[in-house]
Amino acid sequence: MKTSYGVFFAVLAALGASWAGFVLGPLIQLGAAQQTTVLNSTDVYPIQRPGLAAMGAQVYRSYGCAACHTRQVQQTGISFEVVLTSPGKDPVTVSNLLSTLKLTALTKEAADTAAKTLTDAGGKTETHLSATGADISRGWGSRHSVAADYLYDVPVELGTLRAGPDLANIGQRNPDANWQLVHLYAPKAVVKDSAMPSFKFLFQVRPVGAAPSPDALKLPAGFEAPAGMEVVPTAEGAELAAYLLSLHADAPLYEAPYTPATAKP
Amino acid sequence: MNPNATQPCGCSARDGKADASLQVPLLALFGGAALWLVAGLALGLIAGIKFHAPDFLGACPLLTYGRVVAAANNLVLYGFAIPAALGVMLWVLTRSSRMPLVLPLVPVAAANIWHLGVLVGVAGIFLGGSTGYPWLEFSRAAAVLQFTAFLLIAVSAAATLGWRREQELFPAHWFIYAALVWFAWTYSSANLFLNGVFPPRGVVQNIIDWWFTNNLLFVWLGLAGLGIGFYLLPRLGGRPLTCSGLTLFGFLGLIFFGTWCGIPIGAPVPAWLPVVSIVAALLTVPAIIALGLVSLRTALGAQAKCLGGPLCFTRFGLLMFFVSSLLYLLNFCPKVGPIVQFTWFGFGLTQLQLLGFFAMIVFGGIYEALPEVMGRPLPFAGLVRVHFFANMIGVLLFTVPLLIGGVAQGLKLLDATAPFADSTQTALKFLRISSLGQLFILVGAGLFALNLFVMTLQWKLALVKSLIAAAKAPLPDAEVKA
Amino acid sequence: MSEEKQNPSCPAGAGEPTAVRSSAPIWIIVVTLTLLFLGGIYFDHHSGWLNPRVYAPYDTADQLEASQPKSGAAAAMAHGKGVYETVCGICHGADGMGKPGVAPPLAGSDWVNTKGFYRLAHIPLCGVNGTIMVEGKQWSSAMAAMGAALSDDDLASVLTYIRGSWGNKGTAVGAEDIAKIRAAVGKAPAPNTGDQLMAMPE
Repeated sequence: MKTSYGVFFAVLAALGASWAGFVLGPLIQLGAAQQTTVLNSTDVYPIQRPGLAAMGAQVYRSYGCAACHTRQVQQTGISFEVVLTSPGKDPVTVSNLLSTLKLTALTKEAADTAAKTLTDAGGKTETHLSATGADISRGWGSRHSVAADYLYDVPVELGTLRAGPDLANIGQRNPDANWQLVHLYAPKAVVKDSAMPSFKFLFQVRPVGAAPSPDALKLPAGFEAPAGMEVVPTAEGAELAAYLLSLHADAPLYEAPYTPATAKP
Repeated sequence: MNPNATQPCGCSARDGKADASLQVPLLALFGGAALWLVAGLALGLIAGIKFHAPDFLGACPLLTYGRVVAAANNLVLYGFAIPAALGVMLWVLTRSSRMPLVLPLVPVAAANIWHLGVLVGVAGIFLGGSTGYPWLEFSRAAAVLQFTAFLLIAVSAAATLGWRREQELFPAHWFIYAALVWFAWTYSSANLFLNGVFPPRGVVQNIIDWWFTNNLLFVWLGLAGLGIGFYLLPRLGGRPLTCSGLTLFGFLGLIFFGTWCGIPIGAPVPAWLPVVSIVAALLTVPAIIALGLVSLRTALGAQAKCLGGPLCFTRFGLLMFFVSSLLYLLNFCPKVGPIVQFTWFGFGLTQLQLLGFFAMIVFGGIYEALPEVMGRPLPFAGLVRVHFFANMIGVLLFTVPLLIGGVAQGLKLLDATAPFADSTQTALKFLRISSLGQLFILVGAGLFALNLFVMTLQWKLALVKSLIAAAKAPLPDAEVKA
Repeated sequence: MSEEKQNPSCPAGAGEPTAVRSSAPIWIIVVTLTLLFLGGIYFDHHSGWLNPRVYAPYDTADQLEASQPKSGAAAAMAHGKGVYETVCGICHGADGMGKPGVAPPLAGSDWVNTKGFYRLAHIPLCGVNGTIMVEGKQWSSAMAAMGAALSDDDLASVLTYIRGSWGNKGTAVGAEDIAKIRAAVGKAPAPNTGDQLMAMPE
């Protein structure tokens, strides 16, 4: 039934097709991607990581942090909300409508209908879009991750296991450099019952000099350095903390739109 | 091919030439493989313990969890699974073509180059040089060594199989031949892009890595494992492989549809990529069912009892192929995927594929091939049965809690009202049982390595003795019994 | 050595394995083709047809476009574009390049790229008669007061669109400003000539 030529050509066709579709195709479609602009703004996105953070990305890679942490936010749906910006000439009718209409967690069609009802009554409305999903509700991000979030990263380590929380927006969730460093030094000091190992080798415990070093960690009770000693990060520790602080993936984009909370009408 | 049942059995192929040409290549491949297997499983056990005691061996930067787990995974796959399977495939091909291995020195050199590559790669991971791509963490130097070694073996295998234009191939050979081409292409392509000089932009790296991982851990393990399994099952069971048409359907389905799975649902890539994987996974299900039916029907009519020997390994392995493949494809179901992604389910599933399906089949092949090729029985033949039960129990204890724990963890992750720590706590209970399973598997692997090393020693001693005897022999036509 | 073989050198039936030659059952082919069809439907509904900007949970490019939250300026531009294409584009061209003998170009025009929009607003509100000089060329085809029938909002947004498209760098125009100018010109204003327009402040 099958000769070795037959097998060879079948393999060529099968693997050639998937190679063309999943290697060549994405290379052509996404391989030359450039910066994009933030939605309704002229800001470019993403910005390349500054030097210390870029070196921190390599520290992240070398210690295999992606074995326990993911760096991608998942979104399962979208929901619309209609907001009244001005009651217009007939505030009584409009406020009556407000109490009867459903204005949150709507589909696009329902939101458009509600907005039209309010506009016909003279009011001015705005429709807000927000992302929905478990990750979003947990505060791990405001919208799903897209290719633009990883444009300049080599390697892109999306992670496969959530033994620890997602890190896509950790720089936004925990912007305090001291928190990041203390968490790396002694995770249980800041997160109760943390399963994360302590990365003490990223730090140096040394005697306090003439004055305490400005880089010294401020450790909570029970985890302080011995008397007369201070904990300072090594170069790797500082780089890793800088990298974690640089992790943001929240700018609204065309591919992942949402209405930011501070949007002006 | 041997369609006539009244022909003499294959022992005509077991002449001195065919065996001698295989001895050193197989020992080189299997010996290194056994060593890496024990090392990889031990590291995997350490990684498992680190989850119950995060600061176990935590002072040493070389042994952080991320490095240990990457090293363990790569050692089991590249250190053990691939070279051992290549050895068994070489044996199958020489049996079938009734020829000695062509250019036997080539696979010997290749085996050593491969194992050197593994050493370089693992050292790189421990020293912080991991590439960061799952299942492709070995550095560029290691990848070059491994690819060179693979090409050498593939060329030797292809030359042995020969260009059989007129003769039809037995189904197992389709799978083996396809496996040889498959690994060469996917491995070189993935490394050229990801380990090369100009990595692609952004998530294109991950798309290529997912393509590679799927084609290696699902399609290639399937091709190589089924190639060996579909050779061993009819041979050991004494009943021909049922329905070559169904086998052909399964083979074509696996390579044409199975190759397109791999992009996870919800990945940060344009929607068409995961959708193609979802559709491809759906279309691969009939192929897996077909291959499962072939295995079942062939195994059911077997005239022999397995008694803890290679037939047991083969049957359990083929059953685990069916189960693990269906679970793998379930990952791409839009209702199931979001629950089990980022959980222990995926990890447990990969271990089921590697240790439950592939390793079992390869062990069966090695236990069948080695005594025949070396011309001597295994030093501890009784330990084969112990190995089988240790591995079977170990695999079930290791992977089933991970699969169940992964689902529990995933459900907690999807519940935004539950704090994140709940999901980790839920999984920990299951991880304890898994570590016990890892211990069983490690013990079994140790017994396997023991058998292998003692046999190698015995063979080497016999070789030395025969050389001394030949040197002492007064008559030039004295016979040497190996 | 497998335990089934007692004699390593030639037990019965342990030859090279064979395969039974038979074809695959038809039901499995039918099932696969059905799944292929269903898969095709799924691809059609959810993949965005290879569009690189469509990410899950969006299913099509149209849905993504429709869901975009628009800021005030962007909304005005989008709205203005719609009005332009219905009312002005027929003569001035969808690309704002005008049509010879019909309407002068708007792209890069000094009449459009002004600091203020008082003079510009009079063109659609009142119409143009006589000759008008645009980009060094004389145009003498009359323009009706195309903007007279438009609401303040619509006229403001179309002027915003014209002033912000095709390389034009004019500011946006507000509806309240249009209302004031409209009140000043009255109900049925006479069309202006080019010289009359030039006499107005910007």
